[in-house]
Amino acid sequence: MKAWVGFCGLLLTFNVCAAGGQSTSDMLKAIAFAGHQTDYSGVFVYQYGNHVETSRISHIVDANGEYEKLEGLDGPKREIIRHHGQVWCYRQNQMVQVESQQGKDKFPMLLPNQLSALSENYKVREMGTDRVAGHETRVLLFQPRDKLRYSRKIWVDKDTGLLLKSAVLNDKNQIVEQYAFTELKVGKDADRSWIASDEVKNLPGLGQMSADKAAPAVNSGWVVDELPAGFKKTTELIRPMHGNHAPVTQLVYSDGLSAISVFVEPVNAGDEDENEGLSSRGALNFYHKVVDNHVYHVVGEVPPITVIQVLNSIRYNGK
Amino acid sequence: MKHEISALMDGELFEDEADSLLGQIRRTPDAYSDWAIYHLIGDVLRQPDSIHRDLTARVSECLRNEATVLAPRSRALKQRARVFALSAAASLMGVGMVAWMTLQINPETSPQLAMQQSGMRPVNLQIQPAANDYLMAHQEFSPSNDMNGGASYIHTVTYSPEEKSQ
Repeated sequence: MKAWVGFCGLLLTFNVCAAGGQSTSDMLKAIAFAGHQTDYSGVFVYQYGNHVETSRISHIVDANGEYEKLEGLDGPKREIIRHHGQVWCYRQNQMVQVESQQGKDKFPMLLPNQLSALSENYKVREMGTDRVAGHETRVLLFQPRDKLRYSRKIWVDKDTGLLLKSAVLNDKNQIVEQYAFTELKVGKDADRSWIASDEVKNLPGLGQMSADKAAPAVNSGWVVDELPAGFKKTTELIRPMHGNHAPVTQLVYSDGLSAISVFVEPVNAGDEDENEGLSSRGALNFYHKVVDNHVYHVVGEVPPITVIQVLNSIRYNGK
Repeated sequence: MKHEISALMDGELFEDEADSLLGQIRRTPDAYSDWAIYHLIGDVLRQPDSIHRDLTARVSECLRNEATVLAPRSRALKQRARVFALSAAASLMGVGMVAWMTLQINPETSPQLAMQQSGMRPVNLQIQPAANDYLMAHQEFSPSNDMNGGASYIHTVTYSPEEKSQ
């Protein structure tokens, strides 16, 4: 109940901010809050290049926390369920728990320093109103101050504060990827039946998460010398990875809207996968390379040039 | 003049100097042949697979010296058939030539070559499903989770066109 009152307050803030052109950080906080606290279910279309697919999403909050299910409606069966910091993914005909380092739900996740970084790195512009999936939305454009990150255009539901459509644009103003709800049910209309389903009850390891499960912060000694301006380190941890023998060091940098993850691991003996190079999936760019007996992976919602620049400036600064 | 041409080829002239010198080269046949010879020398020194040499003068000279055949039209039918076959072959070769040239000047070719040379792939390559664990690990900490909620996990479950065809 308390959260709900807080949410209404934030939503009010959102509308006031939008009207008065006040701080964008409050507006984003309201959007993040809405995304975490609202019950909703719907169908959205995701598109990048000439790839288009439809997915169903459902997000329910009850006394046990947030439940969220994302399932692909076309192509091979794909599904992700998230609950209380745990993540399951459909693999080889069953739901498998994915290594997750989050610990319990952190909320709000948008950290104050990320929010202040946002206005340093992006110009925010109001682009008027539009209708998405039958809902009135307010359109905002985040334009980066350099070419090392993408522009974002978001359509925010005026009533709920939910993000109903989002587009990522490159420096030539071409759409890199976008997704848009085509159907949305909010509040008590949202589909919540699946929470009580056998699929959820039988999730392996459900609820077996201790508070100290989250990996402790570490100082691995790895540094990136040429981060784009405004990217600040938000996380550094050492984590096990599915299919890897040795733990992997992960460093996460964020400018408030996008994040770049750097993974460093020793080269596995007999690992013949030398697929060095750049690849992409929508706005995500992925670059990996073997340097001095280490494999570097860099992934982020940033242009190819940025992941390359970051990878090429990784350095070990420890003892 | 020769000295200036050499400086131009080394990129040592300012833009306006280079412009006026290029104009002079175009107007003076001697300077033009110097320009061509210097490029030839440069090409030979760099040892490329093929060397550019201006053959136009020699080819037209050969054509001028070619005797015109004024033979009587005996066995006309056979000859006509042969001419037809030859011209058909020639036009096929022509088509082949044009196709080959199109391939050569396709603008996409050069960046791709450059990418290969630096051991990098073109960006239109899709992230392989094997990398999904890294994407999942990244997604956990991305601020897009807050903005887009679970929809941002679409990156980790979207399927590649290759998977679809399997």
